[in-house]
Amino acid sequence: MDKVRTPKNIFVQGAISPDAIAKSIANHSGKTDIGGHSIFLGQVRADEKPEGKVVAIDYTAYEEMALEKAFEIREAIFAKYPLTCMHIYHSLGEVKVGELCLFVFTSSKHRKAAMDACDELVERIKAELPVWGKEILDTEGHVWKVNV
Amino acid sequence: MKQVIHLKAFGMIAEKIGTAELELENPGTLAALGETLRGRFPDLQSAKFGFAINKKLLQGDAEIPAGAEVALLPPFSGG
Repeated sequence: MDKVRTPKNIFVQGAISPDAIAKSIANHSGKTDIGGHSIFLGQVRADEKPEGKVVAIDYTAYEEMALEKAFEIREAIFAKYPLTCMHIYHSLGEVKVGELCLFVFTSSKHRKAAMDACDELVERIKAELPVWGKEILDTEGHVWKVNV
Repeated sequence: MKQVIHLKAFGMIAEKIGTAELELENPGTLAALGETLRGRFPDLQSAKFGFAINKKLLQGDAEIPAGAEVALLPPFSGG
């Protein structure tokens, strides 16, 4: 019988810790039908803006809508690719430069599905989730992040 | 009886109107709501934003149901 999936929380307060990522990888050692994982990690970059240098990004979201949308994207990606597992974590609140703000993790029997699904997930997350990044500057001002 | 709608503003739009939540008399459609807001908050004249009614993205001539939650969404910039 197929597992019934329900919306789950993707949001993490503050930065995503490398330890949590290591644990998440380790949690898959028992799933021996997996042959390949693909992981994307988004890191906050110290961009130079005309108004100052970025020192952190403060993330906010329309959480209820974002979780519904993330679930919809998740179902579509599961339907499109033969995946064993999929995990999505996105930061809320302040994440300093050099810290991680997005963790997308897909696993499959073979590498191609995991890699293609991971790539598509990251693109859809950035384009479709109602999440906003306020770039905090060293001049104490801020600018609003623009996704390219 | 007047119909009230609940507005939620996010990101740059919340900053420009100075609040994240607002109640308004229902102007009928999203296009009319856009005009009402741009009249009331001149800072929105040059701002780009979309709408969601009860968490679904909708545009222009969409009708706003009574008691709806309408979100004002600047361009997404997650990740």
